[in-house]
Amino acid sequence: MIKISNLEKFYRTEEVETIALNKLSMEVATGEFVAIMGPSGCGKSTLLNILGMLDDPDAGSYVFNEIEVAHFNERKRADLRKHNIGFVFQSFNLIDELTVFENVELPLIYTGVAASERVKRVEEVLDKMQIMHRRNHYPQQLSGGQQQRVAIARAVVNKPKLILADEPTGNLDSSNGNDVMELLTDLNEQGTTIIMVTHSEHDARYSHRIIRLLDGQTVMENIMV
Amino acid sequence: MIRNYFKIAYRSLWRHKGYSMINIIGLAIGLTACFLIYINIKFELSYDTFNEKIDQIYRVAVDVKRPNIPVITTSSAFEQIGPSLQQDYPQVKESARISGARFLVQNGAVKFQEENAVYTDPSLFSVFTFPVIKGDIKKGFEAPFTVVITQSMEKKYFGDSDPIGKTLTLDSKYPVTVTAVIKDIPTNSHFKFDIAVSYATSLKLFPSGPANWARIRGYTYIVLPKGYDFKSLETQLPAFANRHYTEADRKEGTNYDYHLIPLKDVYMDTVRGGPEWGDLHNIRIFSAIALFILLIACINFINLTTARATERAKEVGIRKVIGAARKQLIGQFLSESVIICLIAFLLAILLSNSLLPLYNQVSGKVTNTTIFTHAYVFHLFILSCFIGFIAGLYPAFVLSGYKPATTLKGKFSKSGKGALLRRSLVVVQFSISIVLIVGTIVVYTQLNYMRSQPLGFQKDQMLTIDFFSDTAVQRRLPVIKQELKKIPNVISAAASRSLPGFGNGNSETEMENKAGNMQQMLIDAYYVDSDFIPQFEMKLAAGRIFSKAFGTDTSRAFLINEAAAKSLGFTAPADAVGRKIKQWGQNGKIIGVLKDFHFQSLQEPVNPLSISNDPDFNKVLTLKIGSKNIPATIAAIQKRWKSLVTERPFNYRFVDEAFNAQYAAQVNFGNLVMYFAVLAILISCMGLFGLASYSTIQRTREIGIRKVFGASVTEIVNMLSAEFLKLVMLSSLIAFPLAWFAMNKWLQNFAYRIEITWWIFALAGTAALVIAFATVSFQAIKAALANPVESLRSE
Repeated sequence: MIKISNLEKFYRTEEVETIALNKLSMEVATGEFVAIMGPSGCGKSTLLNILGMLDDPDAGSYVFNEIEVAHFNERKRADLRKHNIGFVFQSFNLIDELTVFENVELPLIYTGVAASERVKRVEEVLDKMQIMHRRNHYPQQLSGGQQQRVAIARAVVNKPKLILADEPTGNLDSSNGNDVMELLTDLNEQGTTIIMVTHSEHDARYSHRIIRLLDGQTVMENIMV
Repeated sequence: MIRNYFKIAYRSLWRHKGYSMINIIGLAIGLTACFLIYINIKFELSYDTFNEKIDQIYRVAVDVKRPNIPVITTSSAFEQIGPSLQQDYPQVKESARISGARFLVQNGAVKFQEENAVYTDPSLFSVFTFPVIKGDIKKGFEAPFTVVITQSMEKKYFGDSDPIGKTLTLDSKYPVTVTAVIKDIPTNSHFKFDIAVSYATSLKLFPSGPANWARIRGYTYIVLPKGYDFKSLETQLPAFANRHYTEADRKEGTNYDYHLIPLKDVYMDTVRGGPEWGDLHNIRIFSAIALFILLIACINFINLTTARATERAKEVGIRKVIGAARKQLIGQFLSESVIICLIAFLLAILLSNSLLPLYNQVSGKVTNTTIFTHAYVFHLFILSCFIGFIAGLYPAFVLSGYKPATTLKGKFSKSGKGALLRRSLVVVQFSISIVLIVGTIVVYTQLNYMRSQPLGFQKDQMLTIDFFSDTAVQRRLPVIKQELKKIPNVISAAASRSLPGFGNGNSETEMENKAGNMQQMLIDAYYVDSDFIPQFEMKLAAGRIFSKAFGTDTSRAFLINEAAAKSLGFTAPADAVGRKIKQWGQNGKIIGVLKDFHFQSLQEPVNPLSISNDPDFNKVLTLKIGSKNIPATIAAIQKRWKSLVTERPFNYRFVDEAFNAQYAAQVNFGNLVMYFAVLAILISCMGLFGLASYSTIQRTREIGIRKVFGASVTEIVNMLSAEFLKLVMLSSLIAFPLAWFAMNKWLQNFAYRIEITWWIFALAGTAALVIAFATVSFQAIKAALANPVESLRSE
């Protein structure tokens, strides 16, 4: 599903140039659950942003579903993204002004799904995430675990092929964190490819494969049994 | 999608109430100011447009050119010109004459002095669109001693009974028949009247009549065919004038230049004037003010929205990640700004509606009685949507352009570019505000100056009674004066035709100049009795004043003022005494020169003036009264007047009030400028307040660190305020030259004017600075007093 080769990304300030990704290459097959680990500043988030088409690489190639996307413009990337990729963040990133239902509904609105169909699909996914009873609450009225379940519901409502999770349990206690990991595992078993950035060895154990990064390069790959 | 935009816009506004309030109230005030000015200007520009033949009606105006005197431009024409043009040129379809008059109108016990009367032709009612309610103008209004009255007059004199065919009495001696009732003249007509007396009446009363080509009187309007180029008729008018010169004209070498003024330009014709005229200059000034105030409100909107960008950046990131395209985000932000403007629009309607009476009062003219006419509200709606769109455009493009990868990680930095733009816009706002503050100070200083200048005569406690030159009163004046002087507290009494501040006539006069030649001049003319000059305490520069001891004073003696003496070439006033003078065919001598006194407002220079002693010209009686117990004195005078002069109502005014009333237009102008200056600074400060609070929030951590390392509250307040105060100082530097230029130009309208001195700028700059500091320091003090532990933990 994903093939990147010799990917490079630099950050420049006025005087310093930092290399975030240094000729990085990797592949992820459809249906895989991959964890990316490494110390702060190793380039994990940069990689995830590029994989999610939120950012573009300075050099190298990125093939998504057999399409070279490295040089897509913003509009094309956005179009590809909204039909194929769901995001889960450490800080949930829900919109405070919208209710649970409306937050989950948003991706469907942007992909132009009809209103009646939207209600059906949002209810379905809220049900699955066991958050239906909170549908009319606002994010700030929910616990962290509940917020992350809403965020996951939002990520999957469009039935994406790929979910990118950036430390999804980072802001949660261990019990809520385990719930979230169970949810991701379920989604993966139903066929969704998942790439997750994490600091937690515990969470990484849910994945099929761990990619360890240091200074923008792959230093080790562990295959989980 | 749209529903989602509106939903989130609404909730976002509600969550950030303070910010929304500043935005909405600022915009609402801006829209209100703009709207009130707009409907006022619309009214001014709507003059005479109710006439169906507006594009075909022209006013005929004549310029008089005589040897040795400057051209006299008028808005009037000879009485005979309308009918003659119709006779000579078939393209002149219709013509109508109208000339002002005033009468004491009476129906039985109902009796009023009517100031708004006219003599006019029956054709007036077909040239102009004045709908007839009752009666028939075609039947009877040609005849002498017939009148047409308005609905208000009908109610006033006849109540509910039918007035057609009934009789009114004019000036207690002329019975006239009512032939028709018309609707009241619209307020946006450049001439208005309550009662129209047939022109035939005028020709009967002033029988020098239609054949006379020496009498320029009233206004003449002609109707030309649709689409006809009036210039082609105008070019034929010199030949027309030539055909109609009188013997006397040819002998004196007088020439007449005829001009046709399209009706739609008549009201704004400030050069020629007329019964009522508008001022394009003021319209331009207030249009500019309206635009500037709106600009200030829009700047608030842009500044507050972009300042809040950090907060919204996260939302933008999320939406983009989820799949929002840029144009969808632009749509969302635009609909938010349009919603804000529409809420402001609703508020502005409420505000405008309740402030309209105040606006009319301040501007000194009732233009509109309601805002709900002419689809004005719809115009405001369109304007609001437009502003929402324009003001929302920049923030929408900036916000929608954020990269989600950066904003979601919280790495979003406060962009320097946005801050520079915000600062520049604040400078624009304060520059405008400071220009308006300087303007206000200059206008008021000038008004104060004019009011406090010595006028050269005594204007206080002068009660003047107008008897409208009634000959019956004129004859009995010596007795009336004697009787009124018997009232305690009435010190003296004097009769005259004119009074300072009341306007006066002028007269073509020949006077012997220094070289001994008879010099011809058009000069202002006063007619007074011998008590007038002592009563008003006017000072003599040379010669003597009128005295009853000299029998010939009433016909042969003239006084002139210093300005007149100077224009004759005399540097010493005494040299003018004894010189020959000829006025209205009467030969006389200059017996004295009066020191210049301001018989007009200080907007005008003191012009040459002649004063003569003819009792037949007297129109008003002025009593000097003591300063004690004025209401009782007035009551006593009224009682005495009613027994002495049964035929005339007791119409009185005070000279000082009338004199100051000349400044009404300037006072209204000053008031309006002041109100708008206050609004401008208020809206600017609201924006500044919002900006300061956002900038303070952004610097909370910095403030915390500074405090931990020893900064005092004062130091932090100074640091936070300085940023904005520098902007206000920069605005002053920009505003001062602009304000100086504009106000200097305005002051050129006044013959006696102040100098714009440094203290005016210092005052305006300090005022802006103090107001801005008060606004900003509130936030700064709050931030400086906060516990640094809190602010550092929150990061």
